[in-house]
Amino acid sequence: MGGADRSERRRKQEAAQARLKAAGITPKRSGPSGNTLVLGIVAVVVIAAIVVGVVITLNNRSSEAAGVAPNYPVARTGAVITAGQAAAPVTVDIYEDYLCPYCERLETAYKDQITTALNAGQIKVNYHAISILDRASTPAGYSTRAANAAICAADAGIFPAYHAQLYADQPSEGSAGFSVQELTDKGTALGAGGGFGQCVAAQANSGLIETATNTAAANPALQTNGNFGTPTVAVGGRKVDVNDSNWLQKAIAG
Amino acid sequence: MPLVTSGRVLDGIGTLARLGLAAVWLVSGLLKAVDPAQTYVAVRAYDVLPRSLLSVVAGVLPWFELALGLLLLVGIGTRAVAVLSAALLLVFIAGVTQAWVRGLSIDCGCFGGGGAVAPGQTQYVQEILRDVGFLALAVWLIVRPRTLFAAERRLVTASTGSGMEGN
Repeated sequence: MGGADRSERRRKQEAAQARLKAAGITPKRSGPSGNTLVLGIVAVVVIAAIVVGVVITLNNRSSEAAGVAPNYPVARTGAVITAGQAAAPVTVDIYEDYLCPYCERLETAYKDQITTALNAGQIKVNYHAISILDRASTPAGYSTRAANAAICAADAGIFPAYHAQLYADQPSEGSAGFSVQELTDKGTALGAGGGFGQCVAAQANSGLIETATNTAAANPALQTNGNFGTPTVAVGGRKVDVNDSNWLQKAIAG
Repeated sequence: MPLVTSGRVLDGIGTLARLGLAAVWLVSGLLKAVDPAQTYVAVRAYDVLPRSLLSVVAGVLPWFELALGLLLLVGIGTRAVAVLSAALLLVFIAGVTQAWVRGLSIDCGCFGGGGAVAPGQTQYVQEILRDVGFLALAVWLIVRPRTLFAAERRLVTASTGSGMEGN
Protein backbone atom coordinates (compact mmCIF):
# COMPACT_ATOMS: atom_id res chain seq x y z
CA MET A 1 0.00 0.00 0.00
CA GLY A 2 2.94 2.32 0.74
CA GLY A 3 4.40 1.46 -2.64
CA ALA A 4 1.19 2.40 -4.43
CA ASP A 5 1.20 5.80 -2.63
CA ARG A 6 4.78 6.45 -3.64
CA SER A 7 4.26 5.67 -7.29
CA GLU A 8 1.09 7.78 -7.28
CA ARG A 9 3.07 10.72 -5.81
CA ARG A 10 5.84 10.26 -8.33
CA ARG A 11 3.39 10.17 -11.19
CA LYS A 12 1.85 13.44 -9.96
CA GLN A 13 5.28 15.05 -9.64
CA GLU A 14 6.21 14.01 -13.13
CA ALA A 15 2.93 15.31 -14.49
CA ALA A 16 3.56 18.65 -12.73
CA GLN A 17 7.06 18.81 -14.17
CA ALA A 18 5.71 18.08 -17.63
CA ARG A 19 3.14 20.87 -17.30
CA LEU A 20 5.83 23.36 -16.23
CA LYS A 21 8.04 22.28 -19.09
CA ALA A 22 5.21 22.61 -21.57
CA ALA A 23 4.72 26.16 -20.30
CA GLY A 24 8.38 26.88 -20.92
CA ILE A 25 9.32 27.10 -17.24
CA THR A 26 12.53 25.20 -16.57
CA PRO A 27 12.62 23.49 -13.19
CA LYS A 28 15.41 24.72 -10.91
CA ARG A 29 18.60 22.73 -11.04
CA SER A 30 21.84 23.18 -9.18
CA GLY A 31 24.89 24.74 -10.82
CA PRO A 32 25.12 27.23 -13.67
CA SER A 33 22.66 26.52 -16.43
CA GLY A 34 21.14 28.05 -19.52
CA ASN A 35 18.76 29.89 -17.19
CA THR A 36 21.63 31.67 -15.49
CA LEU A 37 22.99 32.68 -18.88
CA VAL A 38 19.59 33.97 -19.99
CA LEU A 39 19.03 35.97 -16.80
CA GLY A 40 22.58 37.31 -17.09
CA ILE A 41 21.85 38.59 -20.57
CA VAL A 42 18.62 40.20 -19.34
CA ALA A 43 20.49 41.91 -16.50
CA VAL A 44 23.24 43.17 -18.80
CA VAL A 45 20.81 44.60 -21.36
CA VAL A 46 18.62 46.28 -18.75
CA ILE A 47 21.56 47.76 -16.87
CA ALA A 48 23.13 48.96 -20.13
CA ALA A 49 19.87 50.73 -21.00
CA ILE A 50 19.78 52.44 -17.61
CA VAL A 51 23.40 53.57 -17.96
CA VAL A 52 22.69 54.98 -21.44
CA GLY A 53 19.74 56.94 -20.05
CA VAL A 54 21.72 58.33 -17.13
CA VAL A 55 24.71 59.30 -19.29
CA ILE A 56 22.51 61.08 -21.85
CA THR A 57 20.70 62.90 -19.06
CA LEU A 58 23.92 64.08 -17.44
CA ASN A 59 25.34 65.16 -20.82
CA ASN A 60 22.20 67.13 -21.61
CA ARG A 61 22.05 68.74 -18.26
CA SER A 62 25.38 70.49 -18.31
CA SER A 63 29.04 69.92 -18.79
CA GLU A 64 29.78 72.44 -16.03
CA ALA A 65 29.82 71.85 -12.33
CA ALA A 66 26.33 72.34 -10.94
CA GLY A 67 25.46 75.61 -9.31
CA VAL A 68 27.59 78.21 -11.12
CA ALA A 69 27.14 81.60 -9.42
CA PRO A 70 25.91 84.34 -11.76
CA ASN A 71 28.41 87.18 -12.11
CA TYR A 72 27.23 89.39 -14.96
CA PRO A 73 25.44 92.72 -15.40
CA VAL A 74 21.71 92.92 -16.06
CA ALA A 75 19.98 95.74 -17.92
CA ARG A 76 16.36 96.32 -18.90
CA THR A 77 14.81 97.88 -21.97
CA GLY A 78 11.04 97.90 -21.73
CA ALA A 79 9.95 94.29 -21.20
CA VAL A 80 13.27 92.88 -22.40
CA ILE A 81 15.83 91.97 -19.75
CA THR A 82 19.39 91.71 -21.04
CA ALA A 83 21.87 89.59 -19.11
CA GLY A 84 25.59 89.79 -19.76
CA GLN A 85 28.01 92.35 -21.08
CA ALA A 86 26.74 94.62 -23.86
CA ALA A 87 29.92 93.96 -25.86
CA ALA A 88 29.51 90.17 -25.85
CA PRO A 89 29.99 88.82 -29.41
CA VAL A 90 26.99 86.48 -29.52
CA THR A 91 23.40 87.53 -28.84
CA VAL A 92 20.95 84.90 -27.64
CA ASP A 93 17.24 85.70 -27.40
CA ILE A 94 15.17 83.50 -25.09
CA TYR A 95 11.39 83.76 -25.36
CA GLU A 96 9.87 82.12 -22.33
CA ASP A 97 6.72 81.88 -20.31
CA TYR A 98 7.06 81.42 -16.55
CA LEU A 99 4.24 78.83 -16.57
CA CYS A 100 5.62 76.81 -19.48
CA PRO A 101 7.00 73.40 -18.39
CA TYR A 102 9.27 73.18 -21.45
CA CYS A 103 10.78 76.50 -20.38
CA GLU A 104 11.42 75.01 -16.95
CA ARG A 105 13.18 72.10 -18.63
CA LEU A 106 15.26 74.49 -20.73
CA GLU A 107 16.26 76.32 -17.57
CA THR A 108 17.00 73.08 -15.70
CA ALA A 109 19.02 71.63 -18.55
CA TYR A 110 21.04 74.68 -19.64
CA LYS A 111 21.10 77.11 -16.72
CA ASP A 112 24.67 76.35 -15.70
CA GLN A 113 26.01 76.41 -19.26
CA ILE A 114 24.29 79.75 -19.92
CA THR A 115 25.53 81.24 -16.66
CA THR A 116 29.10 80.15 -17.39
CA ALA A 117 28.99 81.70 -20.87
CA LEU A 118 27.46 84.91 -19.49
CA ASN A 119 30.10 85.13 -16.76
CA ALA A 120 32.84 84.68 -19.36
CA GLY A 121 31.40 87.42 -21.59
CA GLN A 122 30.94 84.96 -24.47
CA ILE A 123 27.23 85.70 -24.89
CA LYS A 124 24.56 88.11 -23.84
CA VAL A 125 21.00 86.90 -23.38
CA ASN A 126 17.86 88.90 -24.00
CA TYR A 127 15.09 87.41 -21.87
CA HIS A 128 11.67 88.06 -23.38
CA ALA A 129 8.92 87.17 -20.94
CA ILE A 130 5.96 85.93 -22.98
CA SER A 131 2.41 85.57 -21.70
CA ILE A 132 0.87 83.05 -24.08
CA LEU A 133 -0.02 80.73 -21.21
CA ASP A 134 -2.05 83.27 -19.24
CA ARG A 135 -5.18 81.19 -19.89
CA ALA A 136 -3.46 78.01 -18.59
CA SER A 137 -3.56 79.10 -14.95
CA THR A 138 -6.75 79.07 -12.89
CA PRO A 139 -7.63 81.89 -12.64
CA ALA A 140 -5.94 83.11 -15.80
CA GLY A 141 -3.05 85.55 -15.69
CA TYR A 142 -0.10 83.94 -13.91
CA SER A 143 2.26 84.32 -16.89
CA THR A 144 1.77 88.09 -16.99
CA ARG A 145 1.94 88.39 -13.19
CA ALA A 146 5.23 86.50 -13.04
CA ALA A 147 6.66 88.43 -16.02
CA ASN A 148 5.86 91.70 -14.25
CA ALA A 149 7.55 90.43 -11.09
CA ALA A 150 10.65 89.43 -13.08
CA ILE A 151 10.89 92.96 -14.47
CA CYS A 152 10.68 94.27 -10.90
CA ALA A 153 13.43 91.81 -9.95
CA ALA A 154 15.66 93.19 -12.72
CA ASP A 155 15.09 96.71 -11.39
CA ALA A 156 15.81 95.46 -7.86
CA GLY A 157 19.10 93.89 -8.95
CA ILE A 158 18.15 90.27 -8.24
CA PHE A 159 17.08 89.07 -11.70
CA PRO A 160 19.40 86.04 -12.14
CA ALA A 161 18.47 84.52 -8.79
CA TYR A 162 14.78 85.44 -9.12
CA HIS A 163 14.53 83.99 -12.61
CA ALA A 164 16.08 80.74 -11.38
CA GLN A 165 13.74 80.70 -8.37
CA LEU A 166 10.57 81.11 -10.45
CA TYR A 167 11.55 78.03 -12.43
CA ALA A 168 12.77 76.00 -9.47
CA ASP A 169 9.36 76.53 -7.85
CA GLN A 170 7.35 76.64 -11.08
CA PRO A 171 3.65 75.96 -10.46
CA SER A 172 1.83 73.39 -12.64
CA GLU A 173 -0.36 74.38 -15.54
CA GLY A 174 -3.94 74.54 -14.36
CA SER A 175 -2.99 75.72 -10.88
CA ALA A 176 -3.42 79.29 -9.62
CA GLY A 177 0.26 80.12 -9.80
CA PHE A 178 1.89 82.40 -7.24
CA SER A 179 0.00 85.38 -5.88
CA VAL A 180 1.41 88.91 -5.77
CA GLN A 181 2.27 88.26 -2.13
CA GLU A 182 4.08 85.00 -2.89
CA LEU A 183 5.97 86.60 -5.77
CA THR A 184 6.96 89.42 -3.43
CA ASP A 185 8.10 87.05 -0.69
CA LYS A 186 10.34 85.18 -3.11
CA GLY A 187 12.06 88.42 -4.09
CA THR A 188 12.39 89.61 -0.52
CA ALA A 189 14.00 86.31 0.41
CA LEU A 190 16.57 86.93 -2.33
CA GLY A 191 17.40 90.38 -0.98
CA ALA A 192 15.07 92.73 -2.85
CA GLY A 193 14.42 96.04 -1.11
CA GLY A 194 11.20 97.60 0.11
CA GLY A 195 10.12 98.95 -3.28
CA PHE A 196 9.95 95.44 -4.77
CA GLY A 197 6.60 94.56 -3.24
CA GLN A 198 5.01 97.78 -4.49
CA CYS A 199 6.41 97.16 -7.96
CA VAL A 200 5.03 93.59 -8.07
CA ALA A 201 1.67 94.76 -6.78
CA ALA A 202 1.48 97.55 -9.36
CA GLN A 203 1.80 95.14 -12.33
CA ALA A 204 2.70 98.24 -14.31
CA ASN A 205 4.30 96.49 -17.28
CA SER A 206 1.42 94.25 -18.38
CA GLY A 207 0.90 96.32 -21.51
CA LEU A 208 4.57 96.06 -22.50
CA ILE A 209 4.49 92.30 -21.93
CA GLU A 210 1.40 91.89 -24.07
CA THR A 211 2.94 93.92 -26.88
CA ALA A 212 6.18 91.91 -26.68
CA THR A 213 4.17 88.68 -26.81
CA ASN A 214 2.23 89.75 -29.90
CA THR A 215 5.36 91.02 -31.62
CA ALA A 216 7.27 87.80 -30.98
CA ALA A 217 4.35 85.60 -32.05
CA ALA A 218 4.07 87.51 -35.34
CA ASN A 219 7.79 87.26 -36.17
CA PRO A 220 8.26 84.59 -38.88
CA ALA A 221 11.91 84.09 -37.86
CA LEU A 222 10.70 82.74 -34.50
CA GLN A 223 8.11 80.35 -35.90
CA THR A 224 8.21 76.69 -36.74
CA ASN A 225 5.61 75.68 -39.36
CA GLY A 226 3.89 79.00 -38.84
CA ASN A 227 3.55 78.54 -35.08
CA PHE A 228 5.19 80.41 -32.25
CA GLY A 229 5.62 78.71 -28.90
CA THR A 230 7.71 78.85 -25.78
CA PRO A 231 10.52 78.30 -25.24
CA THR A 232 11.94 79.77 -28.41
CA VAL A 233 15.66 80.44 -28.51
CA ALA A 234 17.25 82.52 -31.25
CA VAL A 235 20.93 83.11 -31.90
CA GLY A 236 21.63 86.26 -33.88
CA GLY A 237 17.89 86.52 -34.54
CA ARG A 238 17.58 82.99 -35.97
CA LYS A 239 15.68 80.25 -34.16
CA VAL A 240 17.80 77.32 -32.99
CA ASP A 241 16.82 73.79 -31.96
CA VAL A 242 17.32 73.44 -28.22
CA ASN A 243 16.77 69.67 -28.43
CA ASP A 244 20.29 69.70 -29.82
CA SER A 245 22.20 69.65 -26.54
CA ASN A 246 25.14 71.45 -28.20
CA TRP A 247 23.15 74.48 -29.36
CA LEU A 248 24.97 76.85 -27.01
CA GLN A 249 28.45 75.58 -27.90
CA LYS A 250 27.58 75.98 -31.57
CA ALA A 251 26.29 79.52 -30.94
CA ILE A 252 29.50 80.48 -29.15
CA ALA A 253 31.65 78.88 -31.86
CA GLY A 254 29.70 80.90 -34.44
CA MET B 1 -8.30 18.37 -28.72
CA PRO B 2 -5.09 16.35 -28.57
CA LEU B 3 -2.55 17.57 -26.02
CA VAL B 4 0.13 18.31 -28.65
CA THR B 5 -2.13 20.49 -30.73
CA SER B 6 -3.35 22.46 -27.74
CA GLY B 7 0.27 23.01 -26.69
CA ARG B 8 1.09 24.41 -30.10
CA VAL B 9 -1.92 26.71 -29.98
CA LEU B 10 -0.84 27.99 -26.57
CA ASP B 11 2.71 28.48 -27.87
CA GLY B 12 1.26 30.50 -30.73
CA ILE B 13 -0.82 32.68 -28.42
CA GLY B 14 2.24 33.21 -26.21
CA THR B 15 4.29 34.21 -29.25
CA LEU B 16 1.70 36.80 -30.22
CA ALA B 17 1.68 38.10 -26.64
CA ARG B 18 5.48 38.33 -26.61
CA LEU B 19 5.75 40.10 -29.95
CA GLY B 20 2.79 42.34 -29.13
CA LEU B 21 4.33 43.45 -25.85
CA ALA B 22 7.67 43.89 -27.61
CA ALA B 23 6.01 46.22 -30.13
CA VAL B 24 4.39 48.21 -27.31
CA TRP B 25 7.73 48.82 -25.58
CA LEU B 26 9.70 49.50 -28.75
CA VAL B 27 7.20 52.04 -30.06
CA SER B 28 6.61 53.79 -26.74
CA GLY B 29 10.33 53.79 -25.90
CA LEU B 30 11.29 55.17 -29.30
CA LEU B 31 8.69 57.94 -29.22
CA LYS B 32 9.93 58.95 -25.76
CA ALA B 33 13.62 58.69 -26.66
CA VAL B 34 13.39 60.99 -29.69
CA ASP B 35 11.76 63.81 -27.71
CA PRO B 36 13.45 64.11 -24.30
CA ALA B 37 11.88 67.50 -23.55
CA GLN B 38 8.41 66.11 -24.14
CA THR B 39 9.17 63.07 -22.00
CA TYR B 40 10.40 65.30 -19.18
CA VAL B 41 7.22 67.37 -19.31
CA ALA B 42 5.09 64.21 -19.43
CA VAL B 43 6.77 62.73 -16.34
CA ARG B 44 6.58 66.05 -14.52
CA ALA B 45 2.86 66.38 -15.21
CA TYR B 46 2.11 63.39 -12.93
CA ASP B 47 3.29 65.62 -10.09
CA VAL B 48 4.69 62.69 -8.12
CA LEU B 49 8.49 62.87 -8.32
CA PRO B 50 10.63 65.58 -6.75
CA ARG B 51 12.09 68.01 -9.30
CA SER B 52 15.59 66.65 -8.71
CA LEU B 53 14.65 63.15 -9.89
CA LEU B 54 12.64 64.18 -12.96
CA SER B 55 15.56 64.49 -15.37
CA VAL B 56 17.00 61.10 -14.51
CA VAL B 57 13.70 59.24 -14.56
CA ALA B 58 12.63 60.89 -17.83
CA GLY B 59 16.07 60.15 -19.26
CA VAL B 60 16.17 56.49 -18.26
CA LEU B 61 12.55 55.49 -18.93
CA PRO B 62 12.72 55.42 -22.77
CA TRP B 63 15.86 53.28 -22.77
CA PHE B 64 14.44 50.92 -20.16
CA GLU B 65 11.34 50.45 -22.32
CA LEU B 66 13.49 49.87 -25.40
CA ALA B 67 15.54 47.25 -23.52
CA LEU B 68 12.38 45.38 -22.50
CA GLY B 69 11.11 45.57 -26.08
CA LEU B 70 14.36 44.30 -27.54
CA LEU B 71 14.59 41.35 -25.12
CA LEU B 72 10.98 40.37 -25.83
CA LEU B 73 11.46 40.69 -29.57
CA VAL B 74 14.47 38.39 -29.51
CA GLY B 75 12.94 36.18 -26.85
CA ILE B 76 15.53 36.18 -24.11
CA GLY B 77 14.43 35.81 -20.52
CA THR B 78 10.80 36.14 -21.54
CA ARG B 79 9.47 35.34 -18.10
CA ALA B 80 11.82 37.73 -16.26
CA VAL B 81 11.19 40.49 -18.79
CA ALA B 82 7.45 39.90 -18.49
CA VAL B 83 7.78 40.37 -14.71
CA LEU B 84 9.62 43.68 -15.26
CA SER B 85 7.01 44.70 -17.85
CA ALA B 86 4.16 43.96 -15.48
CA ALA B 87 5.86 45.93 -12.71
CA LEU B 88 6.37 48.95 -14.98
CA LEU B 89 2.78 48.76 -16.24
CA LEU B 90 1.52 48.67 -12.65
CA VAL B 91 3.55 51.82 -11.96
CA PHE B 92 1.99 53.48 -15.02
CA ILE B 93 -1.50 52.45 -14.00
CA ALA B 94 -0.87 53.77 -10.48
CA GLY B 95 0.43 57.04 -11.95
CA VAL B 96 -2.60 57.58 -14.17
CA THR B 97 -4.96 56.58 -11.37
CA GLN B 98 -3.45 59.03 -8.88
CA ALA B 99 -3.66 61.81 -11.49
CA TRP B 100 -7.31 60.99 -12.04
CA VAL B 101 -8.11 60.77 -8.33
CA ARG B 102 -6.33 64.06 -7.59
CA GLY B 103 -8.21 65.82 -10.36
CA LEU B 104 -5.15 66.64 -12.46
CA SER B 105 -5.75 67.25 -16.16
CA ILE B 106 -2.94 65.46 -17.96
CA ASP B 107 -2.26 63.26 -20.92
CA CYS B 108 -0.54 60.02 -19.86
CA GLY B 109 2.26 60.49 -22.39
CA CYS B 110 2.23 56.73 -22.82
CA PHE B 111 3.21 56.89 -26.48
CA GLY B 112 4.91 60.26 -26.68
CA GLY B 113 2.92 63.40 -25.97
CA GLY B 114 2.01 64.05 -22.37
CA GLY B 115 1.76 67.05 -20.12
CA ALA B 116 -1.18 69.16 -19.07
CA VAL B 117 -4.38 69.14 -21.11
CA ALA B 118 -7.55 71.15 -20.73
CA PRO B 119 -10.03 69.81 -18.18
CA GLY B 120 -12.47 67.60 -20.07
CA GLN B 121 -9.74 66.50 -22.48
CA THR B 122 -8.48 63.73 -20.20
CA GLN B 123 -8.80 60.07 -21.23
CA TYR B 124 -8.00 58.28 -18.01
CA VAL B 125 -10.40 55.37 -18.54
CA GLN B 126 -9.04 54.57 -22.01
CA GLU B 127 -5.44 54.94 -20.80
CA ILE B 128 -5.95 52.61 -17.84
CA LEU B 129 -7.85 50.02 -19.90
CA ARG B 130 -5.09 50.05 -22.51
CA ASP B 131 -2.45 49.48 -19.84
CA VAL B 132 -4.53 46.68 -18.32
CA GLY B 133 -4.60 45.07 -21.75
CA PHE B 134 -0.82 45.24 -21.97
CA LEU B 135 -0.64 43.88 -18.42
CA ALA B 136 -2.69 40.86 -19.55
CA LEU B 137 -0.04 40.11 -22.20
CA ALA B 138 2.68 40.28 -19.54
CA VAL B 139 0.72 38.05 -17.15
CA TRP B 140 0.25 35.45 -19.87
CA LEU B 141 4.00 35.37 -20.42
CA ILE B 142 4.70 35.10 -16.69
CA VAL B 143 2.32 32.14 -16.36
CA ARG B 144 3.37 30.50 -19.63
CA PRO B 145 6.60 31.97 -21.01
CA ARG B 146 7.04 29.29 -23.67
CA THR B 147 6.85 30.85 -27.13
CA LEU B 148 7.97 30.09 -30.68
CA PHE B 149 11.10 31.58 -32.26
CA ALA B 150 12.58 32.52 -28.86
CA ALA B 151 16.37 32.81 -28.75
CA GLU B 152 16.46 31.63 -25.14
CA ARG B 153 15.47 28.08 -26.15
CA ARG B 154 18.59 27.83 -28.25
CA LEU B 155 20.74 29.28 -25.50
CA VAL B 156 19.38 26.86 -22.91
CA THR B 157 19.71 23.95 -25.32
CA ALA B 158 23.27 24.87 -26.25
CA SER B 159 24.48 25.25 -22.67
CA THR B 160 22.92 22.02 -21.39
CA GLY B 161 23.92 20.05 -24.45
CA SER B 162 20.40 18.71 -24.89
CA GLY B 163 16.92 19.90 -25.51
CA MET B 164 15.63 17.68 -22.73
CA GLU B 165 15.88 18.72 -19.12
CA GLY B 166 17.39 15.57 -17.71
CA ASN B 167 17.19 14.71 -14.05
